[in-house]
Formats: sequence, structure tokens, C-alpha cells
Amino acid sequence: MSEAAPAAALVPDRVVLPESAEEVQAVVLEAGEAGTRLLPAGRGTWLGAGGWGVDPGTRSEPGGGGEAGGRSESGGGTDNPRIVSTERLDAVHHYEPADLTLTAGAGIGLDHLARVLEPNGQWLPFDGPACDTGTLGAAVASGVSGPLSARYGATRDNVLGLEVVTGDGRILRIGGRVVKNVAGYDLVRLFTGSRGSLGVITRVSVRLFPRPDADVTLLFGGDAAGAVAAARRVCTHEVPVAAVEVIEGDEGGVGRAAAVAVRLLGGVDEVDESRARIVAAAGADPSAALEGGESRAFHERRIGWEAGAGVVARLAALPDRLAETLACARAVAAQTGGATSADAMQGVVRVKGSCGEGDLAALAEGLLRGRREMAAAGGTLTLSQAPAEVAARVGWTGGGGEEGGLTSRIKSLFDPDSTLAPSCP
Amino acid sequence: MSAATDTLTLALKEQEEGLLNCVHCGFCLPACPTYRRLGDEADSPRGRLHLMRAVVEDRLSADSDAFQRHISRCLGCRACEPVCPSGVAYGQLLELARQVGGEARRPPLLNRLLLRVFGTGWIARPAMFAARMLRATGIPALSARLLSGDSTPKGARLGVAMLAASGSAGALPEAADPAHPASDPAAGSDRSSGNGTPPADSTPPAAPTAALAASPPPTTVGLLTGCVQAGLFSRVNEATARVLEANGYEVVPVPGQGCCGALHAHAGDLEAARAMARRNVEAFETAGVDLLAMNASGCGAAMAEYGTLLAHDDRMAERAAALAARVRDVSELLAARGPLPGAEVPMQVTWDAPCHLLHAQGVASPPTTVLNAVPGLEVLPLAGAQECCGGAGIYGLTHPRLGGWIGADKVRSVLDSGAAALVTGNPGCMMQIGAGLRLRGSSVPVLHLVEILDESYRRAGRYRPEVP
Amino acid sequence: MIPKALAVSLTGICGPDGVIADRDRLLVYESDALTAYRHRPGAVVLPRTTDEVRRAVQAITRHGLPIVPRGAGTGLSGGAVPLGGAVVIGTARMNRILSIDAANRRAVLQPGVINAELSAAAAAHGLYYAPDPSSQTACTIGGNVAENSGGPHCLKYGVTSRYVTGLTVVLADGSVVRLGGQGREAPGYDLVGLFVGSEGCFGIATEIEVGLLPVPEGVRTLLGIFDRIEDAGRAVSDIVSAGLLPAAMEIIDGPTIRAVEDSVFAAGYPTDAEAALVIEFDGLEAGLDAEAARAAEFCRCAGAREVRSAKDEEERLALWKGRKKAFGAMGRIAPDLLVQDATVPRTTLPAILKGISEIGKRYGLVVANVFHAGDGNLHPNILFDRRDEDELERVERASKEIMQICVDSGGTITGEHGVGLDKKHHMPLIYGEAELDTMWGIRRVFDPGEVLNPGKVLPEETDPAARASRDDGAVGEKPAAAPAPAHA
Repeated sequence: MSEAAPAAALVPDRVVLPESAEEVQAVVLEAGEAGTRLLPAGRGTWLGAGGWGVDPGTRSEPGGGGEAGGRSESGGGTDNPRIVSTERLDAVHHYEPADLTLTAGAGIGLDHLARVLEPNGQWLPFDGPACDTGTLGAAVASGVSGPLSARYGATRDNVLGLEVVTGDGRILRIGGRVVKNVAGYDLVRLFTGSRGSLGVITRVSVRLFPRPDADVTLLFGGDAAGAVAAARRVCTHEVPVAAVEVIEGDEGGVGRAAAVAVRLLGGVDEVDESRARIVAAAGADPSAALEGGESRAFHERRIGWEAGAGVVARLAALPDRLAETLACARAVAAQTGGATSADAMQGVVRVKGSCGEGDLAALAEGLLRGRREMAAAGGTLTLSQAPAEVAARVGWTGGGGEEGGLTSRIKSLFDPDSTLAPSCP
Repeated sequence: MSAATDTLTLALKEQEEGLLNCVHCGFCLPACPTYRRLGDEADSPRGRLHLMRAVVEDRLSADSDAFQRHISRCLGCRACEPVCPSGVAYGQLLELARQVGGEARRPPLLNRLLLRVFGTGWIARPAMFAARMLRATGIPALSARLLSGDSTPKGARLGVAMLAASGSAGALPEAADPAHPASDPAAGSDRSSGNGTPPADSTPPAAPTAALAASPPPTTVGLLTGCVQAGLFSRVNEATARVLEANGYEVVPVPGQGCCGALHAHAGDLEAARAMARRNVEAFETAGVDLLAMNASGCGAAMAEYGTLLAHDDRMAERAAALAARVRDVSELLAARGPLPGAEVPMQVTWDAPCHLLHAQGVASPPTTVLNAVPGLEVLPLAGAQECCGGAGIYGLTHPRLGGWIGADKVRSVLDSGAAALVTGNPGCMMQIGAGLRLRGSSVPVLHLVEILDESYRRAGRYRPEVP
Repeated sequence: MIPKALAVSLTGICGPDGVIADRDRLLVYESDALTAYRHRPGAVVLPRTTDEVRRAVQAITRHGLPIVPRGAGTGLSGGAVPLGGAVVIGTARMNRILSIDAANRRAVLQPGVINAELSAAAAAHGLYYAPDPSSQTACTIGGNVAENSGGPHCLKYGVTSRYVTGLTVVLADGSVVRLGGQGREAPGYDLVGLFVGSEGCFGIATEIEVGLLPVPEGVRTLLGIFDRIEDAGRAVSDIVSAGLLPAAMEIIDGPTIRAVEDSVFAAGYPTDAEAALVIEFDGLEAGLDAEAARAAEFCRCAGAREVRSAKDEEERLALWKGRKKAFGAMGRIAPDLLVQDATVPRTTLPAILKGISEIGKRYGLVVANVFHAGDGNLHPNILFDRRDEDELERVERASKEIMQICVDSGGTITGEHGVGLDKKHHMPLIYGEAELDTMWGIRRVFDPGEVLNPGKVLPEETDPAARASRDDGAVGEKPAAAPAPAHA
């Protein structure tokens, strides 16, 4: 999936593909003893993130050594990380449609999962970056939510239970498979979004939803400023909508500088009524209206929006600062010849671009400037994808905030020897 | 302590359902004005019940500072009762607890004196007369203005202001359209000309002539004239009689009646309260009225519970229960008859529900029905209308600081409501809120519900011929 | 009792009204809403600001005493019971809503704000706070954060942790940390999510940022009356699997119906029924009638003898009032009750309900069920009189069996009440040593000295280090053995 970053890419000593939590445990323990760093992965979609720039082209079978693929020659206590992929942990362990819950191996592809759920009219509304072809485990580990989280809750709100192998080799089964559970401390939330830094997620229980009968996307074209204002109006409108995005450039598909995509999900009557009221509030007919399969396909395409980009950043602030956040994102986009995509309900703007051999120092400078601007208004800029050189200068998150060292203490509780990488999300 | 404990244990055994019903759920906490203000659970209904239970369980002495302090700090507003899912009879338990507390430790002199004044006719009458005379001099009104915001002891300031506040409200605004068919401009000046002269309290009741369209079956009612009501608010008693008659009730005099005993019961002097109850049962029975009319909700709540109060009096129990079942707030009597419409009283008022009407008697809508029946009257919403004003009988005098805080919230919301007058249904509340308003330098008057209706009827000419 | 020097310094911090050190007055803080556990605190302090909390924590820990945070004391797991002479830090005076930001649908508040009052204040902006525990008229948001509270409408809207977006927390060492905030996108570990539901063991939240939702335009409420509770359970399961998403689905069983109808909150349920199923849909007006009609049909198919719909808002509120006050109304049918809180997979509801009723019969006990059926979150209430020792023992055994069948079905021991003191001994039913040790570890990340709410959530036996730290006196006396079953 991921294109290897051009600069300073690290070569994995090998990729191992365990088939059970116990095998993952063995891999983790072995790596710990050998001082080899481990990089948990699913299908490798996210490997570009975290500065590893790993080329996941190398495969290996678990259990005894020696099966390392073509690039394993560099193995043996170097700085080169070993990839532990959960791809083979892809079984559906428990699925009772009437319970609206499912338990599966972390390596199950979300595309595959969707096919399992489809016949029962159910779905897992994960629409974060790479949730089209990535694995369930990776979606949970990255914890990044998409525009639908306004309606369905963020990733972390829909993960009920996990099986993980911690960085020091303990197998933990946390949470459960029921929709309400407050027994003990909420380690499930801690692991969701921990980006593989605490443990390898091997099994996941999630909450499912019935697929709504009606799925409509209204696209309103306009200039950039008008689009932001229109998006904000929809966000604060009395009619509940599933998602509101501001898409700049051609990708809106309406031939205007920008498009506002308003997604309506629900019963047929409800969506008809919402549509009429949103159109009335907008004061103009939409440039296009996508219905049913078309609407669904439009959004499924957008899940892979970031794929292949050399640099991806995520800017977030309160939703009413959307115009400012977008302006900040545009400045970064301008440097990379890239584009922006805004989730207006959450106030999140993603920016993607390419980075050639050009001025990486200037790019880093631009990102840092963007982060300072965002921070001044209480917002954040995080990198999702960047050349190692840029990432090293900018930092992925920009620091831990005022959490008093809790993050590093948590890291050492689960992974005292920093076997797992990255060290912290 | 053991005697006290025995009394309470006995009493609580009878109330077992009540005390054990408390499942400690805490739903009463936000309803309690003292908890809201202080944040100490010992000043919440659940906390007080827990202290009572601790006394029963012999884990706490009734003489302890904790028991004395927190049981006495309760306003007795009973706002906790309607929100209690287990139906704990908090008001009754509180009275028992106060009785035990009083046996274990003599209550403060001020409390005893005040109760003595209300409960004893030969003291009450001259005391109230003296108070009226003092009020007539205008000194309290002046002092209340001068004292607002100074450092005079709170109790004294409040007392003076309360006395001032008990005075008549003065003229109400006239209708914009004086040609209203039913209004009588000549009569309209009558009440306003009385403003500034010794209050109308001393003038004999007007002889009302009911001007009725359709006559419902005559119902005889006996009015509890009360101690404070008779002493400082005789104008309210007169108005009550007039509006009831106008609505087809026959108001029958009830000689021999006295103080209802509510204040004594609240203070835990249950024996004194029972004596007063017996006397009133006799008096109202002798008068032979169909219903008992109450214009002081504190008294109404007490009389409606005479059955419980005298449950162990073999001679009186049944009679008391039967009488209690016939107790009605004046607003209920009026709402049951419509009430008959009067002339326009064009003003904006707001309604504050007395705790002993809303919480203790569960009378919620009749007062609004009555106010809505007055043409031209606009009833503005009052934030926290269901919350206690801090008056709570003699509370404002015995706990001036805490009562003052709670009262200040009420005064603030009255002023925020933008109303030109506050309407309520209990003399204690009228004085407490009126005093608070005056101490804040506000001239917003406090009226009894019947005063508004009375004015409306007077303007409509329903009382002709007027007393000259 | 606390040392005089500590009382003096606390008075200096919170003022004379803000410190309660009198032994007698402290009696009222010995229990929360689960009165089986009684432990008198060493003192109670009532701070008003983050800084007062910080200084109080420092003063208390300097004297080596443990601390228990307390909201309104409405919890049902003994979570706010002060063990080992702990000093209670009460949030009753921290009851200000600091801001309501309508444009971003969020509010910042102090922990002592009452749940229902937040919604009341937000209503001016057409917004409300979604989690609605049955005690919402009394419980505080701070307590909700500690317990990760649920409520009937969590079926559609999710529990507290979905709505908490930021926290200011005073840690046991007196440091103040800020977790999340300004919306939901804080990078790094989800420390907010980890903190929510930590039952007062990780820190004291002194400022809480929450998300608000727009008030739904329309509501439809149905009441299905059933002669058998299993049928009601089946209706719930059928509705869920048909793809309908009600805002709430609640079952009230026969004994509970009769208790409620006998209370001041009588809601008009027929007293001879064995189950009442309340179903609510909300959202845009359009389509609500059709959804309600479909749900009604499922009820009839499952064997409902009658399906009513609330004709107006007043009836709707009465239906809910009856449900929400059911717990208190139980006080009318027995002096003591033990309430459980297990969650089971929804499809197992009919079998579990039957199992519970059989266990009750076998032990000669009345078990009243009132629960969040849509979530599979059960609240079996075992009614008893603690003065009857034989009954007490039967209650204990029945309770254990009920818990076991719930866990065996794939469920968990607590869905919303929290583990607290009451269920910590049940934790090994669902977690092994590795998980429990990890939880001990995470607890010590926040609170290395086990200063905050010691003796809660985790059973002591699992961790030798924990025992050692308790024995060296760091947290005062050892918690008294919990009296057998939980009465409420």
C-alpha cells in the first residue's frame, strides 16, 4: 500500500506473520531479548507513518528463524526494525448479528469485514484514513476517525474489547463483547489510538450498526469562503446530518473551486425530510445529489484520499474555527502542490501533498509555522505521513501537552524496554 | 438521652415505613435549599434522615451538636418530599426529630419566645397590635431603607424589614381603558387613598354582596384567620372572605379558633401543636362548615395533617382526620369555581409557590388558574419558583444568615423576572421576600393571591355598595 | 479523626465552612447510595476551585492520609465510601457551569454540576447533554466521569466517555494536568478515555469539557405490556436485529411495576402485567411514526398483550418518571435490596431473564428487574430484610449465581454502576491475573502511593506490591472486610 518514503527509509530485517496471540507473544519476547525493535502492522498501510518509511516488501514465517525474505540480510541487532504483521489473524471469531457485535482477528481487512456484514444489512462505520483496505487492527491502533464519527462516534467509542500482546510480552484480554462495560479501568481506550506503541493488537470486538435504508449526499459547489460558511450553517442546523465535508479542488466533482458534501443517513422519510430542509437552508439547489450506492461509493473513495501522498498532515481546532484551520492547511498545501479536505463537524482539516527532492527544509518550516498558528488558537497539527527528514524536524505530534509525564510512564508500563516502535504516538 | 431516644424510637417505629423507606438514593439533595447553599450532606434531607437513624441506632446522641445543628437548620420546606421515590414522610419525621432534639437540649430562648408569642392568644394579640402600631409609624419602612446594606445584626434588620413588608402594597395600576364596562372609577380611588394612612387592617371587613351570574350550590366555608394573618395581614383575610363570597361560598364565622400550631410542630413542640389542633377541631366542628378555607399555606399544610398529628388521641383522632380532609387552600376553592372573572388589572406579576402549598399540599395549578382568570394580568415566569424563599416560619428570624442567603436568591430572581409585583400565598413568604426586596432597596410589592383577585372584583363593581 | 494540624491547614484552604471534622457530623458521609457499606471518613473538605483541590490534596497526603472524591453520593457500588479514615473531597460547591459554547456544541463545567441541570442550562441553546443516568436529577457530572455512567438513552447515544472531551485533573501528588480539551482531536494516548471510569482512583477532575447534542425534534414513546418477561426480552432482541435503532428500550418487571405504581410516581402501568417494555424513538419528526409502528408490531409478535403509545409529553414524562424512580420505589416493598448491574449480549436476554427468575424461585427470593434492555444491561434487584440472617445468606448465594450466568453468557459484571467496593471481588470472574496486575500498574502510573480511593475496583490479592504498600501505612488502616451482600 504505502509508498516508501524517499529519504532515509529503514529496511526491516524481516516481516513475521504469526498466526495466534501466542505466536505474537513469542515474537515479542524474542525481539525483546535480542534488542530488536518491533513494528506492529496489519497490511502495512500505515507503515509510512511514524517516520519508519519501511518497505514492507519482505515477509517471514514465525517460529524458528531463517525464513526471512530477500532483505533479511541486515538482521541481527541492528537498528533495523522487524515488522510483526497480524495479517494472518483474520478470522471472525464471533458474530451474532442480532447482538450487533463482532469479534475478529486484528488482521481482518476492513474490506473483507464489510463483505461479512453486508448480507445482514450491517456495517462498521469506520471511515478514517485507509479504512477502506487496511485492517481492523490498524484502524483501532491508529484510532483516527473520519467524518462519520459525528453520527456514529469515534473509533474508540465503538471498540468493545481487545486482545493485545504488550511490549513486554503479556497477553491481555481487556474489555469484552457487550456494548456497556465499566468493569475495571478502560484499557481498551488506552490501546485505541496508541499506534502500536504499547502492544500488538491481536483481536478486536466492535460494535456494529444497521446500515441505514437511505444514503444521500448533497454536493453544493461554490467558492472557498462560501463553502466554509455553508458548511458551518449545516453543522449548526437543527437537522442532524451524518457528515459534512468541505472539499477543495476537482475532487468535489462539481466543477467549482470548492464543494460542500452533506451526507444524510437514516430512514427514507427522515432523509427525504432532512434533504428538503437542508436545501431550503442552503438557499440553493445542490450542484449534485448522490443517492444510494452512488453516495456510498463517493464516500468509500474518499476514505483512501491520502493514499500515495508523500506528506499528510491533520489540523484540528474547534469547528467554529474552520475557516482559520482551512487557511492554515492551504498554506501547507500550497508548498506541496497538494489539496485539503475538511471534516466540518469535527473541525478537522487534512492536507496531503507530494514532496519531491525539493526543499524539505522549507516544507518542515511551513509545517512548524502551521503548528504554531494552530496552537495559538488551541488547535493541533499532527503529521500522518512525511519523509523521515521532515518528520524528524517537525515531530509527529508536537509534544505531549500538559499531561505531566503520564504518557512516558504508561509507555514504560507496557513496553519497558521500548521494544515496540514508535516509542509514543 | 435515653428518654429522648425512646420517644424517637417509639415514634419512628410507628414511622418505620417512613424511615426505612429511605434507600439513600440522594434524589432529595438538589431539591434541598440548605444543601444547595452549604454543600454539606448533613444539611440535606438524606443526611438528616441518616442522623435520625443514627440516633435510633444509638450511634449518635440527640444532644450532640451535629444532631441539634442540622435538624434545626432544616427549613422544613419539604421540597424533598415530592422528589422522593420512596415516599419518605420527611416533614413528619423532622417534627419528631425536633421533638427529640428539644427534649435532649432546650431550644434557644429566641425560638421559645417566638413560639410563645404565636401560640398564646393573650400575648399574641397585644404583640401584633404593637407591631401594627409600629408599622403604622412608618419607622420600619424607613429603617429598612436606611439599613439596607449596613452592618446592623442580620436578625434585627430582617425583623424590621419583615414588619415593613407586611404593610399594604398600595395602589395597583389602573386599566389603560377606563371605559371598561364593569369597572368603577369612583371606587377605584378608595384603596389608593388609604395609602399612607394607617393601614386598612383595622377597618371592619367590607360587607360583600355577591354579584353572581349563575349560582353554584352554596358551600359553607370557615376561614382560618390565623395569628400572623389576623395580626398583620387582616386585609388579606378580608379580601379572602370577599372573593370567596363573590364565588358563591358562604363564609361562616368560626369563633374559638386559634393558631394552627404549625410553627410549634415544625419546631418539635408537638404537645403544644396538639393542644392547638384540638382547639381548632372543636371550633370548626362547632361552626359546622362544609370546608375549611386557608389563605396561609403553612397553616393549611398543618391543618391538613391534623389527622396524623392527633393519630394517638383516642378522643380526637377520627374527628381530626375528618376535619383535615376538608381543608382547602383558598386558591383551590377559587379555581374550583372558575373563578368568576373581574375587571382588568393591567400589570405584570410573577408567582412564587409557597413550599407548604406546592410541596406539602401538592397544590400546583390552582394559583395559576386564579391569576390567569384576571384580565390584563400577565404572569411572568419566575426562576426557581418552586424553591424556598428562606422564610420558613420563624426560620428567617432564628437563622438569619442562612435564611438571608437563601432569601437573596429569591429576591434576585424576583428582580430578574421583571415583574411589577410578586404574588404568593403565605404570610411568612410575603414578609420574607418583601423584607428581602426592601433591604435591596426595591419597591416591588408583595401581594397575596387573593388581593389581586379582590382588586379585580372591586374594579368590576362586584362589591357594591362599597363601604364609604 | 484527622490530626489537628491537618484540620487547621484544610480550614486555611477551604474556609471554616468548607471543612467538616466533627465525628458526629461525618456520619452522613459513611455511605453512598449503597448503604451496606459504612465507613466514616476522617474529615470532609468542600473546595470551590481547582487550586483549593490541589492544596487540599497536598495537605492531606503530607499527613499520609488517603483521599476519596465524592459527588452527590448517588453511586451504587460503594465507590465513594471512605475506607481507612480517608478524607473525602466533596465537589458539592464546585457546581458552576463555566461556559456553554453553542457554536461548537460543548460546555466546560465544574465537577459538582448536576447532570440534569447541565441539560437544563443547555436547553436555552437547543442543546442537551446525552448521558442520562436514572439518578440524573441528583448525580453530578464529576461522578458520571468517575463511573463512566450510562442511562436509558445510551442505547443510541453512547455513554459518558463518548461525550467527555477534556479534563483538568488534580493528581495524587498535587500536580494539575490537562488532558484533551478543545474538542476531540488531542494527539497522543486517549488519556481522557482512560481517566473516564477510573472511579476516583486516578485523580480528581476539577474541570470537565463535554460535548452537547441538539435536542431531538420529535419523540415517540411506546409501552408494551407483556404477561411473560421473556417475551419482552425477545421483542427487544427482534427490534435490534431488524435494524431499528431506538433511543432507549427499558424493561420493568412485575414486582417493580407494582412498587412504582404504589409510589408517588405511578405511571399507569397495569399492575397485573409481568413486564412493561418502554421503547422510545427520537429524531426528526418525519419517519418516527413509521419506526414506532414497526416496533409496536415486533412487540405484538413477541406476545405483548397490549401496546400503548404516550399521547402527549405529559404521559411520556410519566412513563419515564416511573422508570427512572423505580430504584427508589423499591424501598416500599422491602427494607433492603441488592442491585446488580451485569451486561449480557442482547440475544441472551430471554434465557438470562428466565435463569434469574429460576434462581430467585430456588432461593425463595423476590427478584425485581428493571433495566436497560436495549443494551443488555440488567439490574436485577434482590429484595430482602437484612434482619433475617437466613435470608441474607440465600441472597448472597443467589447473587453469585446470577452474576455467574451473566458472565457465562459472554457478559460482564458491571455495565454502568462501577466496580467500587461492591464488585471488586467479582473482578476475577472476567479478568485474569495478567489483566488485573496491569490495572494495578496503570493505577500506579497515576497514583503511585495509592492515595486516591484505595481499596476500590481491584481485589487486593492479585498484587503483592499493592499489599505491601498498604501494610506500610501509606493509606491508613486496612479496609474493613466488606459486609456480605450489598443493600441499597
